[in-house]
Formats: sequence, C-alpha cells, structure tokens
Amino acid sequence: MSMTTFPALKRALATRRGRLVLENLTAYIFLAPAGLLIFLFGIFPVAFAFFVSLHRWRRFPDQYVGLANYEKALGNLGYILFFWLAIAAAAAAIWVGRRLLPPLRESSGEGGLASIFAGVICGYAAVLAVDWFFKLIPVIMLIPRQVRGQNTTLSLFMEKLGESFASADVYAAGNLMLGGLFLSLLAIIIVAWRFRGAQSVPLIAVSAITTALICAGFFLLQLTIRETNGAIAAARESGESLPIWSQLVFISAGLAMIATAWIVFRRGIKDYDNKRFALLIVSGLMLAVGGYLLLAEAPAALAAADDDLLQGFWITVMYAAGTVPVQLSIGLLLAYLLFQPIRFRSFFRMVYFIPYITPFVATSIVFRIIFDAGKHAPANRMLSIIGIEPQRWILERSTIGDLLGLPDFLAGPSLALIVIMIYSTWTYIGYDAVIFLAGLGNIPGELYEAARIDGASGWRIFRHITLPLLSPTVFFLSLVAIIGTFQAFTQIWILRTGAVGNRVNTASVYIFDELQNSNRYGYASSMAFVLFALILLMTLFQNRIMGRRVFYG
Amino acid sequence: MASDARALSAAPKGRLPVDGPRKGISLSRVGIYAVLFAGVLIAVGPFLWMISASFMTLSEVNLTRLLPEKLLWENYATALRRANFLDIEIATDPQTGMLQSLSVSGYIWNSVRITLISVLGSLTVCIPAAYAFARMRFVGRNFIFALFLSTMMIPGIVMLIPHLLTVIWLGRLSESLFGPAGAWFNNWPALTIPFFASVFNIFLLRQFFIQIPDDLWEAARIDGAGHPRFLISVVLPLSKAPIMTIITLGFIGSWNALMWPLLVTINDEWRPIAVGLSNFVTADTPGDLNLQMAASVITVIPILALYFVAQKQFTEGIAQTGIRG
Repeated sequence: MSMTTFPALKRALATRRGRLVLENLTAYIFLAPAGLLIFLFGIFPVAFAFFVSLHRWRRFPDQYVGLANYEKALGNLGYILFFWLAIAAAAAAIWVGRRLLPPLRESSGEGGLASIFAGVICGYAAVLAVDWFFKLIPVIMLIPRQVRGQNTTLSLFMEKLGESFASADVYAAGNLMLGGLFLSLLAIIIVAWRFRGAQSVPLIAVSAITTALICAGFFLLQLTIRETNGAIAAARESGESLPIWSQLVFISAGLAMIATAWIVFRRGIKDYDNKRFALLIVSGLMLAVGGYLLLAEAPAALAAADDDLLQGFWITVMYAAGTVPVQLSIGLLLAYLLFQPIRFRSFFRMVYFIPYITPFVATSIVFRIIFDAGKHAPANRMLSIIGIEPQRWILERSTIGDLLGLPDFLAGPSLALIVIMIYSTWTYIGYDAVIFLAGLGNIPGELYEAARIDGASGWRIFRHITLPLLSPTVFFLSLVAIIGTFQAFTQIWILRTGAVGNRVNTASVYIFDELQNSNRYGYASSMAFVLFALILLMTLFQNRIMGRRVFYG
Repeated sequence: MASDARALSAAPKGRLPVDGPRKGISLSRVGIYAVLFAGVLIAVGPFLWMISASFMTLSEVNLTRLLPEKLLWENYATALRRANFLDIEIATDPQTGMLQSLSVSGYIWNSVRITLISVLGSLTVCIPAAYAFARMRFVGRNFIFALFLSTMMIPGIVMLIPHLLTVIWLGRLSESLFGPAGAWFNNWPALTIPFFASVFNIFLLRQFFIQIPDDLWEAARIDGAGHPRFLISVVLPLSKAPIMTIITLGFIGSWNALMWPLLVTINDEWRPIAVGLSNFVTADTPGDLNLQMAASVITVIPILALYFVAQKQFTEGIAQTGIRG
C-alpha cells in the first residue's frame, strides 16, 4: 500500500542489498520486545546486583561502602575473593585476545590493525557508557522517593528525570560517553569505508570485548587494593593488625599447591615407568603442604565472617551430599528396571513423575503432617511398628550425631533437615528416572547383543556398557540436582518450624530472610553474589572433572 | 538437554534390547515388579493419604486413620472459604432476577488471571524472537542468541534484588503515566512482566521453527508473503505442539511461584495460590490439619488434571528444558 506511493523506495528494496537491509530491520523489530525485556530482567540485573552490593542500600540507595558488605559476609576472605576475581578478568582478557585475535587478523587482511584500533575505541566507549549508566542509576533510583506523597504526574516524573541527567557527575560522564560513542562511530565508518570487503566486524567485536575485559580487571584490581589498604589502615588506627596480604599469599599458594598436586597426580597415574612413584610422592607432598596452608590460614581469614551465612553454605553442602547421590541412584535403579521388558511401562513412568509436577507447596504440607512431632503422626506410627520411639522430626533441632550419641565432628544435619532431604529426594526421583530412561534408550542395542555373545553377565554389562554410555545423563542430572539444592526454597519455607530456627536455612533461604526481614539490599546482594560465584566455580569444576566424556549432540 | 528430549520421545519403543514382554514368570521378574510397585506406593502414597485425610475430622487426622469414617465434604467448603481460595458473589436484581454484577476473588482466581496474562504475554514476546533466531539472517545473530542463553545460568537469588528495585522504579514511572491502576508493585505487572521474555520458551520455539522445511518459505515468498505473514499464516498453525508445551509449563510455573510473589504482593488482591496456601498453613499451626489437606488437594487438582490430559507436553517440555517453572 504505502510502497506504491514511494516508487523510489520500492525500487531500492527490490535490489539484493535492499532486501538484506529489510531482513535485518525486520529481524531487529521481531527481537526488540524480547531483547528489551531480557536486557532489563536478565542481563542488566547482574551488573545492578553487583552495583547494589557495593552500597548501603535500604530500599533506596544510600552510601557507597566499597567492599564492606563482602567483608561482613566473608571476613578477610571477601577481599581475597576480589583479588581472584580481578585476576580472573585479566586472564579472560588475555585468553580472548590470544585465542581469537591472531586468526581473525589473518583472515581480515590488510585492514587488521585498523580494525583492532577501532575495536579498542569501541570497547573503551562501552566502558564509558557503563560508567555513565551507573553514575545515573543511584540518582534516578531516588526519584520514587522524591515524588512520594505528591500527585505523581508524568510531567513531574519527567522533570525529575531531566534533573538527574543534568546533575554534575552524570553530566560529565555523559559527555565523555557521547565523545567515546562519536569516536567509535567514526572509527567504524572509516574502517568500513577504507577496507571494504574485508571481514572486519568480528575483529572489531573481539578487540572491543578484550578491551572491556581489561578495563573490568583493572577496575576490580584498583577497587580491591584501595579497599584492602583502607581496611588495613583503619585496623591499624584502632591498634590492631589485619593480615590480609599475608592471608592472600598463603591461601592462594595453598590452593595453587592443591591444584598442581592434582595435575601431578594425573601425570603420575598415567606414567608407567619408574617416574610414577616419584610423581605420586611429589603430588602427595604438595597436597599435604597446600592443605596445611589452607587449614592454617582459612579460619583466620574467615574469623570475621557472618556465621549464619557460613552455616547456610554448610547446610547447603550437607543437603546436596545427602540428596543428590541417593536420588540419582534410586532414579537409575528405577529407570533400569523400567527398561527391562515389562508390562505397564508407561503407567509406571506416568506415576513416578507425579511428585515432581505437583505444586511443591501442597506436597510439602503433606510432609509437614506426615513428619509431625506428635506420637500418632504417620512417620512416628511407622517407627513404632519396628519398635523405635517417636521422634520430633520437623521440630527437632538436634543433629543426627547428637541423637545417636556420636562425637561432635560427626554431627551431620539436624533431623529437621533430614526431613527436607527426604522430601526433596521423593520429589526428584521420578524426574531422574524419566531422564535416565531416555538416556538408556539412546544406547544402541547391538552393544548389548555383542556383550551377551561374549558371555558377559548382567552386572558386568551394566558396569561396562550401560554406566559409561550413560555418563552424559549422569553428568547432566547431577549438575541440575546440585544447582537445584542451591536454589531450593519452597520446601524449606514450608517445612521449617520456629523450633528449628536457622538449622535448616540453606544459603539462599538465609539471603531471602535477610532481604525480607531487614531490608538490607546491599548486604543481601553481596551474599547473593558470593553464592553466584560459588555456583559458577562449581559448574566449571564439575565440567572439567566430570564433563570430559560428555558430548552435547 | 535437547538430546534428552529427542531420546525421550524415541525411548519407549523399538530400541529395547528385547522387544515386547516375554511370556512366563520368573523369580527375577517378580522382584522387578515388586520394586516397581513399591515405587508406585511411595510416589502416590502421600497423595492418597492427603485425599483421605481431607475428608476426615481433625481427630481422625491426628490419630492417623487410614480412611475417614464418614466423608466430610464440608471440609472443602470450609477450606475454600477459610483459606480465601475462591469467593464468587453474584448479585441479581430482586425484581427481574437478572444478573446484576458478578465478582470473583480469591487466590485461585488470582492465579488463573496471572497464568493467563503471563502465558499470553510470553507467547507474544517469544514467538517473534524465536522466529528471528530460527529463520532470519541478521548481523550479530549468534552473539545475541548466546547472550540470551547465558542468562539462564544466573541463579534466581541474584536477580531478586535488582528485579525488585527495577519493578519499584518502573512502577512509579507507569503510575505517573496511567495513574494508580498502572502500579507494578502488588499488581499484575510485577508478577508477570519480568517473566515474559523467557529464554527457555525462545529456545524451545526456535528448535521447532528451525525444523520447518525451507520449501514452505520459498513457496510463501513466491506468493508475495513476507516474514510476518509467513509467521502468522504458516509457522504458527504448524507449531501447536511447542505452544502447548509452553502453555502447560507456564501454567505450573505460575501455579507454583512462591518466592517472588512473597516479595511483591502485600495483600490478597493479586496474591497467587502458592502464597495463599503457604500463608494459610503457616498461620494456623498446629491448626486444622484436615482443612490444610483439603486446601492442598484443591491446589493439586488443576495441575494433576492438566497432567493427565497433556502428559506428553509435560514430559517432553520438562525433558527439553530440564526444568519446571
């Protein structure tokens, strides 16, 4: 319709180039709503959470406090963590640069150097934009408070927004950003015009990312050194000493020792000549020294940490250790049985899935009643059948170790936590079984035939064919399960009772409590970030240790 | 994850080591059935007792009777009212008997409204995005897709605070635009809009859209259709299966949501059912266990009904994404 009124436009769009531009435009329009929302609620929040964690922040932004929130959460280890983070950013920059730049440069021909230069400008401009944005955020976050009580009209809101853009700090950063954007646009245009036809876009992108990573590493390092020195100076003024630097050195050395010990150990068990013994001895020694360094320094570095948070982490670990192996092995057993030639397979599969799909709130309530402390509650009734006296279950603060009269270091989880673990195992077995069943179906039947012709028995077939070929599924499910324990919320929320207090709070439940009860957004953000770092680290670790044989088809 | 899904649909038939049930009974087969039926008992036992207990008197529940002496249907009526699950007020004109006004409220109604809004919103946002990733060529496609996927790695607890702050701020902006009705906090936008652009849904739809044969697109283009037209009149009618999966997963997602609604609702106007049930139970400890069971049954029934109707969507959707809501 409107096309016919603009014949020139119609002709331009009919060319190959015109169609390409039109396709790009349509694609971006298609993506726009999702992209906006994912930026706002998926990408930006990570940076925002980090930003909040550097502030005192109770519903509205307050003072910038540096790493104080992290110190409150983890003691001196908070500072040490940031050193590692800064080094990780620098390492990532080097990795990206060394891995990606040379081949791209080769393929882009003579425009290579210019493209890299343009990329550096773009990367720095992006850093300036982020800087401006985060100078703006605390100012505009105050707007809701400023307009509170007044009749909020659009013009008032816009007026406040304009004031925020014009405030001195934001204005200066904004000018810098505009300058950077202008320069990078200029650089891109020059490169695109001067070296037409060369593959310069990837090169520009990669060098921009490298630049941004270098800036991030530099920012983190600078922040950490400043904060650490500040903390040490403050401690000295009050007559104490704060051995952050020595702790940093010793703990890093300890971890590095353990990591090298692992590498040497792997070398050692591969080596079949006489060096093997020596390598194993060296590995053992390194492990011992590294472990000693960690054991000697870590408690001191964690001395000022938030005990409730540490307990939360410990509970999370126990929760994962108590549920993941159990639920995976029962799930595998059920899947293996279901895989035999039996009747009613789909019926069993359907039934096993029910605990997983029903609302957690409702099923948790049933467990709350089953594991009630009353003498006639279902769980206690079952205990009395086999002659064990009734337990207090969800009301029981004491640990398993206490109840069995074991020494302190074997204390283990509280009985209340055990109930939550039973619940969570019950919920996830069906899910695991269904996914395992799918994995079993992927194993080619000929392998079983061949093994049977070779005279292998049931257990040997399972051990040497089924289990190795199922390893990708095991890997996937254990990863999902462990991350799930970090995220578990509903069942703990329902199954915890006042009598148990914080003995069942995993780290994320503790963070949520901190957020809801005391509105300390900055502190809660810093703890959430520590948790995030832990999950990320664990995923990487598990990927390296377990994921070698996993292929994602 | 995607390979799991493919395997799941391929699993049950054909590829088993031995096809079909064998005749005759052996000891090991009795053992297999014994274990499998024990599994069934453990899986559904708590549900059966939940249903049974929901018909009991309080003292029968406290004594853990297996079956109620008499079916107390009124437990359900009491639970619906006490837990504020559903409240329908019908006003008729006394003279003519015509329907004058109908007001529905309660947690079930809230959850239904939230589910409808979030599923519809999610489909409107995700379908075009998935289509662009699957069938269009544009600068930065792979990079943007990888960026989207990477957001799935971030744990929910990290997002909680920024989401809350963003929602408060955007809510103020929208209030200044639309007046009090535009509020986000304690209103439907806070409960639904942050979850419209679900990367899972985009991924799911994209995998499906990619498989649509190119011939169809060529034919449509010769007929003069552009991308928007092809999407609406060819792709969407073909995509009933993934859309059904998204609807079922969205339904359980909203029905289960607890942590986020706890933060952004302050009264019963929009509070969803999981929060309502949780509040009902934690508020009356030790309380009326039979009513708690009735309320739980009411909560479970819609999900179970959906599960029995759309079982395939459930299992495949969950196996594909690896999650449930």
